[in-house]
Amino acid sequence: MPQQTETEYKEILRQYLENQSEQNLYMGEAFSRKLIEKDISPEEVISIHKSALKDVLPGLPSKVWHSFDFLIEMMIRYGLALKEHQSLVKRQEEMQLEMEVASKVQETLLKTKIPVVEGMDLGYVTVPSRTMSGDYIYFVGNDMDEAGVAVADVMGKGIPAALCMSMVKFGMDSVQHSSEGPSGVLSVINRIVEKSVNDSMFVTMMYGRYDAKSSTFSYASAGHEPALHYVASENRFVELDAKGLLLGVSPDARYEEGSVALERGDFIAIMTDGVTEARTPEGFVEKDTILEIISSVKDRPAQEMAEHVFAELDRMQGFRLQDDFSLVILKKE
Amino acid sequence: MNLQVDLNREDSVQHFKVIGEIDAFTAPALREKLAEHPVEKGMKAEIDLSDVEYMDSTGLGVFVGYFKQVKETGGQVKITGLSPRLKRLFDITGLNEVMDIEEHKDDKGGLNDATV
Amino acid sequence: MGYRSSVDIHTEWDIVAARQLGRNEAKKVGFGTVDQARITTAISELARNIYLYAGAGKIEIERLNENDLFGIAIIASDEGPGIPDVRKVMEDGYSTSGGLGAGMPGVKRLMDDFRVDTEKGKGTKITAVKWLR
Repeated sequence: MPQQTETEYKEILRQYLENQSEQNLYMGEAFSRKLIEKDISPEEVISIHKSALKDVLPGLPSKVWHSFDFLIEMMIRYGLALKEHQSLVKRQEEMQLEMEVASKVQETLLKTKIPVVEGMDLGYVTVPSRTMSGDYIYFVGNDMDEAGVAVADVMGKGIPAALCMSMVKFGMDSVQHSSEGPSGVLSVINRIVEKSVNDSMFVTMMYGRYDAKSSTFSYASAGHEPALHYVASENRFVELDAKGLLLGVSPDARYEEGSVALERGDFIAIMTDGVTEARTPEGFVEKDTILEIISSVKDRPAQEMAEHVFAELDRMQGFRLQDDFSLVILKKE
Repeated sequence: MNLQVDLNREDSVQHFKVIGEIDAFTAPALREKLAEHPVEKGMKAEIDLSDVEYMDSTGLGVFVGYFKQVKETGGQVKITGLSPRLKRLFDITGLNEVMDIEEHKDDKGGLNDATV
Repeated sequence: MGYRSSVDIHTEWDIVAARQLGRNEAKKVGFGTVDQARITTAISELARNIYLYAGAGKIEIERLNENDLFGIAIIASDEGPGIPDVRKVMEDGYSTSGGLGAGMPGVKRLMDDFRVDTEKGKGTKITAVKWLR
């Protein structure tokens, strides 16, 4: 311990004992900040106090001096707890940095380009509830008359989900240029996922493909939230449900394929359960509420629609997403 | 954030009764409870979820994992007492095709309202 | 090598005896009150680990004098199950500590040198040294 610290402490203490003014206490407070900066532990502070007092107030009964030794013993663990806390804070900062880098890596991984297809307006929003996402949206297309979209949701969230998600991404890359239809795509991804995930991990995924020549949307689902088809002529929503087991449960799962013809003004909404399972303090957001929100912007461009639905649900949840949120809108122009 | 799992064995069927909410916080406890009884060859397990008000994807993951283990040994998993909301979850995920699923016996609505 | 003495750890009361021995020896080496308290806290921690996880073992205290340096060594040894993952035990915030600043990282902080030798099923030997400044 530098001699100077002890001398300074002694002086401040002496002044306080003489005047007991607020100014003296303020000096004490300022000094304590210096002690912390110098990394002086609580037990050392007591030891400094004890030796200062020996000069300032000599002749105290010996039991008083012993009591300081007792207090030193008391403070050792406080000192340790403080050190541990400081080290944990530092580690947390490091992890935060790592997470930020990882999320940048993921952003690059997740990059997808909306294909340009005649007569089809596409828009999407995907927002992670934490730094990293377990949702995945990927577009494929020939920029002429075909567009495919994959919407996947890895169970759970955060880093484990994000790691599993990259597997789905590479699976999608491998089928990108093949002529597989929706159910074929899901079968391929299923075999990849099934081989590589642990028992209690799974992925839900919907794959849809729009064919501009016939204006049809064909789709298959692996345990995914049904997509919604808005039928403009009837002003109502129809659930697009296709039977299919979650990815990663059974290697020989089969996926039903369905298809619908789209008319002008129709749109398809594909989402993850971050949309349908949105939870506010009052409970789940009702399905009708979600449909109303979507309907209210049905005449806007697809991208605006998706952004509006996200903004509304985000607001309803107090700007704290419970789960990763993803929504794709495919609108027939 | 509480979850209770009661176990009892009846005529070679292992019963689990789960009470509470199953989410990312309680799922590990549920997984441990299920693992307390080692998966035996050809075992029959029945899981009663009639007192489960909420289950998220992590919870579903626990049952998927358990199902895979039991199936590997040639056994069966039956899930009973599903509220409409949970039933829908098992339907959508296609698990109703591979597991034995039973809905809640008395349709009391209210608490078990399906909102989505 | 200097003078070495030891206390067997079987019951919780033996922890007190180990502390007493450590404090006496620390005083003899010339450590001040604060360092004495640190050394005895480290002994407490190590002795309690023996008591809780190995059932029995011993704490040895050795006065050190190397070149012009004086110091004290605590050697905690047991024939318990061993530490399966030393790296984990040395991490801050590991379950045994739970924000109380205790555990192995605490001992390491209280002392200057720290060394763990452990073998699964054979036991653990932890040596912690503090030098007089």
